[in-house]
Amino acid sequence: MIVFLLRRLFLLGTVLFGLSVFAFSLGYLFPGDPLQNFSGMRYIDSTLREQLILQYRLDQPYSAQYLAFLGRILQGDWGLSFASQQPLLKEIWQVLPATLELTAYALLLSFMLGVPLGILAAIKPEGTIGKSISGIALVGYSLPIFWWALLLIMFFSVTLGWLPSGGRLGVLYEVPTITGFMLLDILLSDVSYQHAALWDALRHLTLPTLVLATYPTTVMIRFVRDAMLDVWEQNYIKTAKAKGLNRVQVLYRHGLRNALLPVIRQIGLQFSALITLAMLTEVIFSWPGIGRWLIDSIYQRNFPAIQAGLMIISTLVITINMLTEILHTLFNPLARKY
Amino acid sequence: MAKFRLYLEENNRSPLAQLWREFARQHSALFGLVLFSSFLLLSLLAPLITPHDPYLQNDSLLLLPPSWSEQGLVQYPFGTDDLGRDLLSRMLKGSTYTFGLALLTVLASLLAGLALGALAGMSRGVKSSFFNHLLDLILTIPSLLLAIIIVAILGPGLENTAWAVILALLPQFVHGIRNAIAEQLKQDYVTAYRLDGANNWQVLTRLIIPNIWEKITVMSSMALSTAILDIAALGFLGLGAQAPTAEWGAMISDSLDIIYVAPVSVAVPGLLIFAAVLSVNLLGDGLKVAIQKRRES
Amino acid sequence: MKKKCFIAAATLLLLCACQQELPENIRSGLVYCAEGAPESFNPQRVTSGTTIDIVSQQLYDRLLDIDARNGDLLPGLAISWQRSTDGLTYDFNLRQDVAFHHTSYFTPSRPFNAEDVVFTFNRIMDPTHPYHFLGGGIYPYFQSVDWASLVESVSASSPYQVRFQLSRPDSSFLANLATDFAAILSAEYGAAMLTEGQPQWLDSRPIGTGPFRFKEYQKDVLVRLYRHNHYWQGQAAMEQLVFDIVPNNARRMAKLLTHECDIVAFPRLAELSLITERPDVKVQESTSMNVGFWAFNTQKPPFDQIKVRQALALAINQNAILQAVYFNQATAAKGVLPPTSWAFDAELPNAEYNPQQARALLAEAGLSQGFIMDIWAMPVQRLYNPNALKMAELIQADLAQIGVTANIISYEWNTFRRKLSEGEHDSVLIGWAADNADPDNFFRPLLSCAAADSGSNRAHWCDPVFDQLLHQALSTDDQQQRRAYYLAAQRYLHAAKPLVALAHSQRFQAINANVEGVSINPYGGIALFGARRVTP
Repeated sequence: MIVFLLRRLFLLGTVLFGLSVFAFSLGYLFPGDPLQNFSGMRYIDSTLREQLILQYRLDQPYSAQYLAFLGRILQGDWGLSFASQQPLLKEIWQVLPATLELTAYALLLSFMLGVPLGILAAIKPEGTIGKSISGIALVGYSLPIFWWALLLIMFFSVTLGWLPSGGRLGVLYEVPTITGFMLLDILLSDVSYQHAALWDALRHLTLPTLVLATYPTTVMIRFVRDAMLDVWEQNYIKTAKAKGLNRVQVLYRHGLRNALLPVIRQIGLQFSALITLAMLTEVIFSWPGIGRWLIDSIYQRNFPAIQAGLMIISTLVITINMLTEILHTLFNPLARKY
Repeated sequence: MAKFRLYLEENNRSPLAQLWREFARQHSALFGLVLFSSFLLLSLLAPLITPHDPYLQNDSLLLLPPSWSEQGLVQYPFGTDDLGRDLLSRMLKGSTYTFGLALLTVLASLLAGLALGALAGMSRGVKSSFFNHLLDLILTIPSLLLAIIIVAILGPGLENTAWAVILALLPQFVHGIRNAIAEQLKQDYVTAYRLDGANNWQVLTRLIIPNIWEKITVMSSMALSTAILDIAALGFLGLGAQAPTAEWGAMISDSLDIIYVAPVSVAVPGLLIFAAVLSVNLLGDGLKVAIQKRRES
Repeated sequence: MKKKCFIAAATLLLLCACQQELPENIRSGLVYCAEGAPESFNPQRVTSGTTIDIVSQQLYDRLLDIDARNGDLLPGLAISWQRSTDGLTYDFNLRQDVAFHHTSYFTPSRPFNAEDVVFTFNRIMDPTHPYHFLGGGIYPYFQSVDWASLVESVSASSPYQVRFQLSRPDSSFLANLATDFAAILSAEYGAAMLTEGQPQWLDSRPIGTGPFRFKEYQKDVLVRLYRHNHYWQGQAAMEQLVFDIVPNNARRMAKLLTHECDIVAFPRLAELSLITERPDVKVQESTSMNVGFWAFNTQKPPFDQIKVRQALALAINQNAILQAVYFNQATAAKGVLPPTSWAFDAELPNAEYNPQQARALLAEAGLSQGFIMDIWAMPVQRLYNPNALKMAELIQADLAQIGVTANIISYEWNTFRRKLSEGEHDSVLIGWAADNADPDNFFRPLLSCAAADSGSNRAHWCDPVFDQLLHQALSTDDQQQRRAYYLAAQRYLHAAKPLVALAHSQRFQAINANVEGVSINPYGGIALFGARRVTP
């Protein structure tokens, strides 16, 4: 196990290294002056320029420049945003919690819906219920998310007027940012309208969470269903059946445990897709998260921000992926072989 | 003659024919095939069958409602947009961009992936295993994010979108093909063929490729649905196809402004994207099941 | 999946079933959905109407105000003013007991006085002023009217008297003091931020004397203002004012219909009829002094040739643009001045649509093969141009007729303006809304040589003859004489075509039916001082 962990950590290190090299090279790949791209400063006069060149070692070979870059990244000096001239890392910490909050709820919802529905579909795969669940899963799997979001907004917000069309909280509510997680912040705050604000935040969460959960839910349904069907064919299930256990007992004692094991691994794989979809969802629902921030940065040709956004999202995705893989291996010795 | 072959009949069919038999048994897969073929035809023939020029602005017919409403005209089944362009023609034309371009990017990416995957797959040892894990992790970077970064470097536009999608799809092809080849290399018949004096190239072209093409097809179908969704998403975000290009995703974001006046102009392109992706998914699922069943029989 | 739908439906029902009584802060707050984010919180440093709408009238006051009905000057922070007979000296008597904002980050120790006026205007024109170079020393509006060379000095003759000494008579001087750009800052706050070593806060955490005070700005998300309780004109009706930044037109419309916004800037013209049908929303219409135009970068070939510019002007179909982009809610423009201005030249010929002649002109200019050009289109909806991208598509199709291939280029709004003033464009679809009633406001900021340097001259056009005409018009106070100069200037422009004027649009505002007292000023930004919620 130790060896396995060390190998994984080594791999993680290598990938993060590769990522940082890529991010560094973006400073040169993006159009414009590399010095501006690295520092994020819009106006650089000649004295500052010389000082920065020395600090960033731009007069030295690329390897030295890269080391200087890495040093800055590790120290938390990620440069400024072109658009706001604020430190990028600070901006990222402001928007990241919103994304994490949304993805967490969507992931949770997709589990709560996907796993039971997948099992339900696997009980009688050729029956009406099984077929319709699979069918709907396929439909959800093929929906272009931005269009789906528009449909829901048009129906629930504009036509029925039940739910707000975007944002995290009604703008007139003023809740101080403590953790960046809206529901938590509201609970921690001592504003007089705490209940109303909480209610409002939940109403704002509903549509984006539903939209974002659509894809992972369908993947989860398909995955759980296939895994269940797979396990069903295994000899130990047949043995269990032969022992005279009834269907529910077999399912509960032997089937579920083994079928749900790969689901842990699935969290990591889903997370990557979720982050991508979250970017689109955030744009449509004006959700002030990192996806919208990144896409705004592209519209603004805010190269330092694109670079930072890439690093933070990729690191996040890779780390979560690695963690779930390690967890999966912990629970499943069979996976430890390689 | 047939009498004597009664029990052998199935096995004597070519693998392709067996596959088709299994495939044709699934109604949903057949439906997917029909849908897919019509999109394919449409993307090839779109310039010939559009009733109007998709880019012609008709000043006298702005925001014409669809033909099923009272003010509509039969010549313009879906009506016109706010520049007087025929919506039906634009939607037909869009299949060339969203669907046709996705197909091309997948083909290009597949060819590149085949070359790189073969190179990686035919080598062995620690290096290869490390490479594999590396690809595993690169794969975790979302393809859309990768495409967005590439577009940010190259600048927005349909052509750059195509490059971005090709590059973004590449890792999964390399990874899949490499694994498939590695699996094949373990087979006894490969060793036997090598003992016969075959070199790497011969092993690859005569044994391995014919044995993994099914996997490649399934892989491609998954890549195709990703490609369609990515191209449309980039177009929707304004990073892909630029106005006035009649790409479906770009059309949706274009028509957002008139969503209350002409909901059709948002609804139908989305429906088309959905149908295109659905057809590809149905096809892919059908193939997967058919391959599995053929193997079992 | 059925289960999923069921759960979703149940949640939804739950969410809307028990509508609670709205808390106090919601009922006493107003949401204005803006089309873009402010660039700065100091109006001196901007020209964009977006920033002016959000910042100017809400946070600041000016020495003079403009009467919305007839364009006359009204007292603002100055109660009265005298002009010397040679037109070179202006004396202002200032209002007393005007309180600056009291906020979490600054506590004023004294009310407004002459020191603040001197501080404000010296910042613009005095390079030794500690704040002059903050943000690059760029004051686009003031540079475009050549302020630094016009005003020799600003001095306080007593605590409540200010004297402006000019180097030449300028009949638009007072009008310029009344524009939204001439907001009065606090000298005390400026000094305090210097000692704290945070000078940039002067422009990002504003202190003014306006009806609302600054609370917070979440970049690209919202601006939150609270009522200034000691405002010299009385208290504003709303306790809280939030500017929700929603660049997307469709989303702004959705927010109006769901009542997430009380006031929506620039509703889509196509949807006006839909809005007017609804009982819960009303539309305010007002005439506005503005012009939407297509400017050529005359520094770049082939746009430096008059023939090419004339050809391009002939190639576009103005009527189609009025119909498709403005939905006929605008008047066709003959020149930059709108017909409501007193210097408008009614004799100017209407715009002509003649592709054949355009092609002939191109051939004369040696471009019979056509050429490739960029059209920059604003990404946001503005008063003078509701949809620049659509307009660009129309023009693109028109230009194809004369063999010119056009690429449409657009960036995010702030980036767009920055790149524009750097002169990277071939041509641009943009416009101008008047800041005061003086016709000079349409000429010098848009087309003078000084404006070409400061970047607000989108055509980068600098013509000594034209500049001379503008100068002559300013040196006299006689309206008849000024009018004659402006007529000549309009004809000169018509021939030289540094830009093609397209339309003068009506201004629309969609407002929640229970909100009243929102006033649209034909000369500049929106004022929300009097806005209030009425219970039906």
